[in-house]
Amino acid sequence: MARTLSLVRHQGSIETPRSSTSDDGLVDRARRGDVDAFEQLYGMYVGRVYALCLRLTADPVQARELAQDTFVRAWEALPRFRADASFTTWLHRIAVNALLERRRRDRRRTARVSLAEDEEDGESVVAGVVLAPDVATAIDLERAVAALPPGVRRAFVLHAVEGYTHEEIATMTGLAAGTLRAQLHRARQLLIRALSL
Amino acid sequence: MTEHPSPDDRLDDLTSRLPREIAPPPELWSSIRAELAPRSRTFQWNARWRLAAAALVVAASSSILTLLAVRARDGVYRAPAAATADSAPTAGARLPAHLAVAELGYARSIDALRRTLDERRDSLAPSTVATVERSLRIADSAIAEARSALEHDPSNRVLAELLASNYERKIDLLRRASELAPRT
Repeated sequence: MARTLSLVRHQGSIETPRSSTSDDGLVDRARRGDVDAFEQLYGMYVGRVYALCLRLTADPVQARELAQDTFVRAWEALPRFRADASFTTWLHRIAVNALLERRRRDRRRTARVSLAEDEEDGESVVAGVVLAPDVATAIDLERAVAALPPGVRRAFVLHAVEGYTHEEIATMTGLAAGTLRAQLHRARQLLIRALSL
Repeated sequence: MTEHPSPDDRLDDLTSRLPREIAPPPELWSSIRAELAPRSRTFQWNARWRLAAAALVVAASSSILTLLAVRARDGVYRAPAAATADSAPTAGARLPAHLAVAELGYARSIDALRRTLDERRDSLAPSTVATVERSLRIADSAIAEARSALEHDPSNRVLAELLASNYERKIDLLRRASELAPRT
């Protein structure tokens, strides 16, 4: 995770995901099959999409695959894209769906029988958080977030980093409100402990 | 005395300073692009050819079924009446009342979809419009064929079902044509 941070473009404050509507023309052209327009959209959004993918997966190889999957799916689904959501939000939703599908597929492949939440919240993963550096910087936070259990990490990234509301996350992930609140609370506890805040 | 921020506040502060964008590996776009090219080209063609193929299937199956139904009745096959624009019910057509009512319902749906398609006509490629119109003419011909046969044999259930099926297929054609991607 730290290695990929050298590629950071810029830092910015948290803003609402629904912020850009200036790309309507490009979206319209891409929807008609214009690959050049889609490439421009890619250039505009790939930084955010890749950041999301990297934080959700905590793995550069998986993040690359997930980002690729996200844009390919977006291309295929563009004719059905409606302007009632921002393009960013729509892309993020595709990324989250793709991630959830991968998790389900991986679980089937490994034929694990443990409950998903038990698996995701396993103490062995939590131990990684405890081992995170105790100097509280943004890079340390990235590493601590990467060490969170996957479900807890997903909730934290979508809510605290990307700024989605509980309701929006519940819609994206299918999580119950109570589960989501518990995951967010756990994420904060683990991060505060890992970073010695 | 300065009050120390709480751990939650410090975490929020750190989180707010995380970068919103991270540059992806440079070759990512070329990998994505390689997967887009075949799909972008086939989408337009597939959409057009699916419409044309659907219309041909409607026409062929309709003709065969009409022929079978008429022959089963009296062994005589009549040539279909000329197709009317968008298969609007013919004035004074001799159809059973329940079919005439159903036909009016179909006509309303067809009119609405036709208006939608006409509004979008300019945004579609001329070749797409030509394919759609050709498909609609084939669908109209199938409707006219079934209708003509039914006028001569109003009690024939197979023909009645065939007419209804042809209307529904035409509505489906119009709906799909209305949803076609605009010109590239």
